[in-house]
Order: sequence, then structure tokens, then C-alpha cells
Amino acid sequence: MSAMDMPADGSGAGARTKERAVQAVSAPRLTWLTLALMTTSSVASLRAAPTMAVYGLACVFLYLVPAIVFLLPTALVSAELASGWEGGVYNWVSQGLSKPMGFLAVWCQFAMTIFYYPSLLAYVASTIAYVVDPSLASNGLYTAIVIMVLYWTGVWISSRGTGAVAGLASWGLVIGTLIPGTLLVVLGGVFLGQGNASAAPMNAAHLLPAWTGLASLVLIVNNFLSYSGMEMNAVHVSSLRNPPKEFPKSMFLAMGLVLLIFILPALAISWVVPSNQLSLTAGVMQAFDAFFQYFHIGWLTPVIAVGLVAASLGGMLTWLAGPSKGLLLISREEGYLPPFLQRLNRHGIQQNILVTQGVVTTAIALMYAFIPNVSSAYWIFSVITTQVYLIVYLLMFVAAIRLRRLQPDHPRGYRAPALVTLCVTGLLASAAAMVIGFVPSSQFGGSSVWSYVLLIGGGLLLLGVIIPLCFLKFRKPSWRNAGEDARPATGGAA
Amino acid sequence: MSPTRFASQHRWIYVGAIVVLVGMLITGILVYQQHHQDVQANNKAQELSGKLAAQGYPVPDQDQIVSTLGNDGGAVCKQPASALKNALWLQNISNGATGPGQRPVIGDGRAIEVEALVLGVYCPDQLAKYQDRFEDIKTAQTVKH
Repeated sequence: MSAMDMPADGSGAGARTKERAVQAVSAPRLTWLTLALMTTSSVASLRAAPTMAVYGLACVFLYLVPAIVFLLPTALVSAELASGWEGGVYNWVSQGLSKPMGFLAVWCQFAMTIFYYPSLLAYVASTIAYVVDPSLASNGLYTAIVIMVLYWTGVWISSRGTGAVAGLASWGLVIGTLIPGTLLVVLGGVFLGQGNASAAPMNAAHLLPAWTGLASLVLIVNNFLSYSGMEMNAVHVSSLRNPPKEFPKSMFLAMGLVLLIFILPALAISWVVPSNQLSLTAGVMQAFDAFFQYFHIGWLTPVIAVGLVAASLGGMLTWLAGPSKGLLLISREEGYLPPFLQRLNRHGIQQNILVTQGVVTTAIALMYAFIPNVSSAYWIFSVITTQVYLIVYLLMFVAAIRLRRLQPDHPRGYRAPALVTLCVTGLLASAAAMVIGFVPSSQFGGSSVWSYVLLIGGGLLLLGVIIPLCFLKFRKPSWRNAGEDARPATGGAA
Repeated sequence: MSPTRFASQHRWIYVGAIVVLVGMLITGILVYQQHHQDVQANNKAQELSGKLAAQGYPVPDQDQIVSTLGNDGGAVCKQPASALKNALWLQNISNGATGPGQRPVIGDGRAIEVEALVLGVYCPDQLAKYQDRFEDIKTAQTVKH
């Protein structure tokens, strides 16, 4: 750990505690390119391309506006913070606001993933089913087995060290997103190059989405969240050779890749497949099938399905490795979690946090697979968890402004231009997304708006406030650095 | 650490991942069935075209309908109203996120209406249950046509 990682007053016992807490945790060397690919893998894949292709040229607007008000602030602010402070969001918020707030931030980042994995893996199971036998997608036992096997394999790989995660996530992105995405764009270009008219009108009148009042506002504002996760891999910043210089580079590359992955393949599909025909397709895979059928290369549909599976699993690995590491780091420093959860395995990985998270995820996933009422209502969790995630961004932007004021001379490898403006923009965007999260979506039907607000607000309060408060309230002084003692003798950095 | 070093340290994880993905790929290509033009597929495509036109929807190319839906509706008709399919469907009415930022929106009603037309032509026995599932869905015209 370099001197740069210390807080401004980093000469005291607190800094030594922090150093002891962090030094044992796995930190293999990563290149900035690998970290960029990991970040891209966490955020973007081709999964949404058919959904967004329905909007035609307006999908550019639907991705660019959120990019300006949310992606740019998130990426630039986290680039500055990571170039000055190690440890990711927990340390930024701890330094800028307070340690309990730092814990709250990383808890929110961690807790929301518990509900994310079952829905992601259910999608993966349905994609595999599309390749093997589409009727399997309705089979609870099949879905449960796929979720369990893939999730626990992910936990096993994550517990082998960040290196394994980095490699698989990077290759998952390349073979599952970048190559198929390039193929879609090239085929779209060939389609136009042959003199065909674009299926979706590509004129100024279609640059903006249809305006239907609240529904359009919900669509535009909720799209801010397309870029959530850009800051997550900053927890691995200490694995870079020269974090102050390399992390911003990594972030800029990831930002460019994410934009390209979201926008170009969706546009390419909209050129070839009319939006009303996309409506004929009962899922992502059939939309790809319709695209490839035009070129009489339908056999590429299972190829892209396998690519989507690889990309989704690679992205899942980054989410398994990232927030849990941040949670461990602050818990070892401040004793926010019981000693059992602070233990590391011989690869320096927070295995017990991963396994505990796995037990909870398993229970949720089994309910998802076997209890129809749970699966049908599962979309509610995605609203609650995104609300919880927005707390992270609210805290991060406030912390960034305070760090500029409190520690103006702290060495930073990169200083974001107009940081306060960026933070205020990001804050307003996050707050708007949180408010819009209380507007009932299609799935809620015509039921009472207030019951929806109570449901989402209650979930937000429980997951994002009450549970972390309980950890803070019931912690014991002896838990601080307890994991250090509990570590196996062979433990240490991988 | 270079990617090469990652590979050497975690060789068996990489080999396992490659074997699983290649196995899935080969299975997928072998199992993949191209929908062929036949009398029944063409008749059903014509019937669907007629219903789409009658409801005021643009009518896609006949060949595209045949290649996407064949004569049995393909994956569209595989238990479309089952709980898990329903859950995936509901999750897909969402924003453009592919990570944990995925969240529901107020979707365009056209997809639900058109799928009901497809089911009515290709697997009418599934239609009533599907309509039961989606009768309460709130939609808006968020797509410019």
C-alpha cells in the first residue's frame, strides 16, 4: 500500500489498523485493460439490444441522455476517487462522510446483488433452454438446478482469487459481447450497404421517443440505471501497477465500450428487424433469431445464445468478487461484521461472506424456481434493489464533493473537471431515479399506487436502512480486525 | 499480472469453462431447427398477417413470419403462460440495463397484443391462460410508430 492510500491524517493508529486490515486481502496484479474489461462486463451485454431496438433511432437518445447525466458523472467522479483512495466506494464515503456511512454504501452495493443473481441466472437458464429445449424454460426443477450449479460454481471460482474472476470476466466479455456485437453491427452495415432501407425510420422525427407523459418519463429516467455498476470494480484498484494513472484510463475505455455495446447492436437490429416483428418474438433469443434469419444464417442463433451465457456469467463473477470485497475491507477495519464473516481463505478471499450470501441466494432462488407467486412477483425485488443501489450513488457524489473540500491537496492521479457540477448532476439524476422508482410499472397493473409506494418504500427501508443499522448497532469492539487473527496461517495475498 | 499468467494459474477453470461452452455450442447447433416453408407454415403466416392487418398493425414479410414462427409457433408456444415464463416476460418489460440496474418500466402494449394474436393462430389452446396472466398489465404507447 502506498502513502497515497492513507487518509490525510494517515499517520496514526487508524491508518495502521486500515493497513493491517487491507494488506491480507487478495490483490493480484491486474492490467488497466483487464480492469476496463471487467468493468464493461459488469455493466453491459447484448441482452437488452432487442428490447431497445424496438425504440428504433430513439434508443440512441435513451442511452445518450442517461450517459450525460449519470454515466459521465459516475465514471469521472469514481475515476478521481479511485486515483486518490484505494478500497472503492466504502473508503471514499468513509473518508468523505463517515465510517458508518461508508459501511452503509458498501452494504447497499452488496445487498442488492443477492436479489440480482436469481433473476440473472433464471435468464441464463432460459437462454440455455432455448438452445437445448425451449420447454425446459418452464420447468422449475431445471431452473433451480441451473441456478444452483452456476451460482455455486461462481462462488467457487471467486473464492480462488480475483485473478480467475478477472480472466473469465474479460474473456466472457470478448466472446460473449464484443465479437457477437461486432457481428451484429457488421451485418447491419451489410444490410444497409446492399441498398435496403432501414426497417426503423432513421430520420430526425424519430430521434426522440414517443412522449406519453409519465410513461415516457419513467422510461427515460429509469434508463439512467443502465450504467449502474461503473464504480464497482474500483475496489480492485490496488491491483493496478500505477492506480492513479491507470484507473482513469481503465474507466475511460470502459465508458466507451459500454456506450458502443449498448447503442450500436440495438441500432443494427432495428435496421434489419421491424419493431412490430420484434413484437412477434417472445424473448431475447427469438429476436436474434429473426435478425439472423434475414441473412439465412439462423444457425448463428445458438452461437449468440452461448455467447450471451458466457457474458452473463462473466458479469456475475465480477459482482460476486467486487462488493463482497469492499464489505470485507471496511468490516476488518471497523469490526462491522462478526469475525466469522471476516475470515479469508488461503487465496485471501472473503469466502465466508460469499458462502453466507450464497445460502441466502440459494433460498431465494429455490423459492423463485418452485413457488409461482414468488417468481411472478420477483420483478418487485428489482425495483427495491435498484432503489437500494441508488443510495450508494447519493452517498458517493456527496462524499466526492466533501473530499474536494476537506482534502484538496490529497494526491490524486486524476482530477475530474467541474467536479461539483458533475456531482450535482449525478445527485439529481440519482434522486430523480429514486423518485421515479415509486411510480408503479406495467407489472403492477391497476392496483393502488399507495400500496406500491408502501411496498417499495418498506423494502428500501428494510434492506437499505434497518439491516445495516442492526449491524452497526450490535457490533462488538472485539470484532475489529478479528478476521486478521482468524485467518488461516497460510493466508495472505494471492 | 498478464492474461497469460492468469491462464497458467487457473488452467483447469479455463479448460472447464471452454469445454462447457463448446459442448453447449455443439448441442445448440445440432438441435437448432430451421423452420422450413411448408403449406401449413405458409397458411398460418397468412392467417396471422390477416389478423395483424385487421388490428391495424403493420404486416411483416411472409417469409420472415414463416422463418420465425414455423408451423407451430416455435418457442412462443412452449407454455407461454407458465409461472417461470411469465416471470421472465415481466422482467423483460424493463429499461435498457443488462446488469443490476435492470428495473421495470411502463412498457408498450403492442408486444402483449401481438403475442396474443400469435398465440391465437399458432396455439389457440394457450391463449386464454396467457390473457388471464396479462389482463392486468398497464401499458402505454412508448414506441413511436
